[in-house]
Amino acid sequence: MLAYLLNLATLICINAVLAITLNFIMGYAGIFSLAHAAFFGVGAYTAAYVAMHASASLFLAIPAAMLVTGLLSLVLALPALRVRGEYFVAASLGLQVLAVTVFSEWKSVTGGLGGTIGIPPADLFGHAVSDPVEFLLLALACLVPVILVTTVLLRSSFGRSLKAIRDSESAAHASGKNVAAIKTLSVVFSSSLAGIAGALYAFYMGFINVESFMLDTSVLLMAMVIIGGTGTLLGPLVGTVLLMALPGLFSYMSFLPQTEIGSIQQIAYGLAMVLLMIYRPGGIVGARSKGAA
Amino acid sequence: MSRITTMLKAALLACGLLGASAAGAADVTIGALFPMSGPNASYGDIFGSGANLAAEHANADKLLSGKLSIQYEDSQALPQAGLIGMNKLVNVQKVPYVLSAFTGVSKAISTISSRTRTVAVNGGGVGPDLAELGPYFWNVIPLANVEVRSIIPYLVKERGLKRFVLVYVDDPLGQAIRKEMETTLPGAGGELVQALSVPVTAQQFSGVAARVRSANPDVVYIASYGSQQSQIVKQFRDNGIKQQFASYTAFSIPEINALPEAKGSLYTSQRMDWNSQDPVTKRFVDDYRARHGKLPTAYIANYYNAVRLFALLAHDLESKGLPVTGENLLKQRVETKTFDMVGGKITIDENGTVSMPMQINEIDGQGGKVVSAAEAG
Amino acid sequence: MLLLQLLINGVQAGALYALIAVGFSLIFGSTRIFHFAHGATFTIAAYVFYYVYSLLQLHWLAAVLAATVAAVAFGLAVNRLVYTPIQKHEGSFFTVFVASFGVGIIAQNVCGMLFGRAFVSVDTPLSRSVELLPDLYVSPLSGIAIVIALAFFAGLQAFLMRTHTGMALRALSDNPGLVRAYGLSPQRLSMAVFALGSLLVVPAAVLLAASSGLQPALGHHIMLISLAATIVGGVGSLRGAACAGLLLGLAENLALNWFEPQWSEAVTFIVLFLFILFRPAGFFGRTTVS
Repeated sequence: MLAYLLNLATLICINAVLAITLNFIMGYAGIFSLAHAAFFGVGAYTAAYVAMHASASLFLAIPAAMLVTGLLSLVLALPALRVRGEYFVAASLGLQVLAVTVFSEWKSVTGGLGGTIGIPPADLFGHAVSDPVEFLLLALACLVPVILVTTVLLRSSFGRSLKAIRDSESAAHASGKNVAAIKTLSVVFSSSLAGIAGALYAFYMGFINVESFMLDTSVLLMAMVIIGGTGTLLGPLVGTVLLMALPGLFSYMSFLPQTEIGSIQQIAYGLAMVLLMIYRPGGIVGARSKGAA
Repeated sequence: MSRITTMLKAALLACGLLGASAAGAADVTIGALFPMSGPNASYGDIFGSGANLAAEHANADKLLSGKLSIQYEDSQALPQAGLIGMNKLVNVQKVPYVLSAFTGVSKAISTISSRTRTVAVNGGGVGPDLAELGPYFWNVIPLANVEVRSIIPYLVKERGLKRFVLVYVDDPLGQAIRKEMETTLPGAGGELVQALSVPVTAQQFSGVAARVRSANPDVVYIASYGSQQSQIVKQFRDNGIKQQFASYTAFSIPEINALPEAKGSLYTSQRMDWNSQDPVTKRFVDDYRARHGKLPTAYIANYYNAVRLFALLAHDLESKGLPVTGENLLKQRVETKTFDMVGGKITIDENGTVSMPMQINEIDGQGGKVVSAAEAG
Repeated sequence: MLLLQLLINGVQAGALYALIAVGFSLIFGSTRIFHFAHGATFTIAAYVFYYVYSLLQLHWLAAVLAATVAAVAFGLAVNRLVYTPIQKHEGSFFTVFVASFGVGIIAQNVCGMLFGRAFVSVDTPLSRSVELLPDLYVSPLSGIAIVIALAFFAGLQAFLMRTHTGMALRALSDNPGLVRAYGLSPQRLSMAVFALGSLLVVPAAVLLAASSGLQPALGHHIMLISLAATIVGGVGSLRGAACAGLLLGLAENLALNWFEPQWSEAVTFIVLFLFILFRPAGFFGRTTVS
């Protein structure tokens, strides 16, 4: 039972990093990206590749993951600069689908549909982090700085500029803000941190495969951010814990047919999304009506 | 709440507790990672029917001191989902032995299997990589290289079909079959004219059909599984492909045998003589037929064997007074080597694979018939 | 001959995509609601058709009727129960989009629970191809698809140009405020839009069910195509959406001549991505990028 809880806690940490970084661009910059799972994947595959071909040292794998993901995110930043709203959603959707195809086809790097197996445990100063408790501590050690850095950034003038852009891009532009640079920076920032989550995931699982990085995952991350509350600091954390604990909760309800649990889960958070948007768009943590964040 | 309701509830609770305590001290649970939902759910039913029957027989024969039961987890035939199920089985249920299926899933769980020394047994997947997943990963089904190598000589020499087009699903299984064809065909006198991969989730094949037609083959080898292979067969025939179809054991499922467009297709499977008088086989066939009203197939027999293997090994361990753990099961298997299974005596090699004679079947819309007994690969 | 075959396949696929895209574009252009659940409308229509025709074994007309009723009812219900309340209090793009997404997820999974996640298809002799020319196979279903698509477009054109409601709908996409000032009710009109948009999905759903089969996740793919076609064609232009739908169907199939099948979905998105980068207004778009 302890092993199960440790597992859950570690996955919560990893997903929390993803949710927080997604909230950064969705809730604060107004950039609705459906491609977050793609960056998660890029980080994971990079770390796996580095670990298997160079060294499993965390100090190599994590920066490599961040670098590659950050560079790739410039591809997403390009449409973000030109369009908003529905156009951006479409572009990010396109990027996500494209990423999945690349993950499935670039067999020499990603292993294709079979995935990458045999990823060595993470190496920290020569010590292999394979014990679940140690890994949980490592995950927390990555989560806490992410929370801190994000919070600091959001409270700074950068954060204020972001909110200004979200609320009215033309006004922000008129008041002298370099909108293009700020948007690009925020996308790069959000994606490279998502890369850290990817690296952690690869080391934790020992096996990664394109299934974990598909549109369904992007949707789940979006649900976490929305249900918790966009544009708030606590929201993504609340959303992550809730949505990660949900499958476990459902599997204890033995009156539900086993084969349908997956669908029931999805219906549950689909329903949550709809109801929240009608009655409480700010999410669980957020204000009653938007605009007060 | 009336007194009667309260008493009923108390009675039910008491029964529940009694039932739990009557479960016995030495009961053993083994795990099974089958697709129980999703597009490949029919395989889960098929595999499960064999596994369940074996557990029943083992309990009837009192092979173990306690009751043997199987805990099923849904892998959906997807590696990630399989991994989650495996985690649950190993960490929460603490099973020593897991039945696995599908090449992709098996590869995914092999790391945990080695790390936690839990035995994983495959009776359905045929990717050759499955032979290299460590000492704790066993296969009771001959792998794809054997299947492909068995049918090619027959197709080339006895049916005179030399130009092959391979349509394969783009995952480890499909890629393995492609590799096998590329290496085996030239030597056998055939030619792989074209190899077309299809995405795992693809369901629209008119475009692929057009490309197959333009390659002008003698025979089309289909390496896919589940409902996708039914779609391929149907849509290919709909789109004017009249050539011979060939495939591997995946064609043995009822869905394909009932498909009119599949009539005449040839496929390989393990040679299983359902009329054999060998006691293990006879009992299996008779009980299966009595329960399900039809003859079993090789897949069902394989998972029956997988569970029976566990029961036999655990029985030996218990009589030696050793605990039933993955490590001990492995040691016992290496020691015993040959087992009385459905299909006769089966020997498991050092690397955890089996070699068996194969047969070639033809779909005739009435349960199929065997057209050739190929040699063991 | 391969190219010609792929071209014909592309036209068939394109005709169906065009129908679906126009439905989405109509709704989006008139009401500015990102009706992500349009894919769900499609899924529901297809499954209802499958249910009535294959499982209940009724006449195909009854099945088509049932599918139409289901699709229209669904579209109207989503508008009434989900979008309207949201628009009453703040209705930002984001909120509506998320709610629509949620509806899509629910519908997809309910279909999965009711009908199973495996692939199901409707059996009909119409899907069997006939060899028109050497090595050129066309099924009657393709011909029917193209004819029906053309018929619907002609009907839609007539509706929008000749009837009062049609003209009001076109006005709505230009300027909802003015429409209200003229005494017409935007709420009533948006109901008409949703009904019409959802109706357009039905022939495509029925034909797709008969030709390639269904699974609950199909809604995603459909939605992707509608979205791509609407943007590439230009938001606000129905003609653009139809042309773009056709283009995407052609691209998806013609790509098979040069690339592996895995890449055909990616081709659609590369096209979309390039348009968004270089010409967000699409082919015939009138609206500016905000």
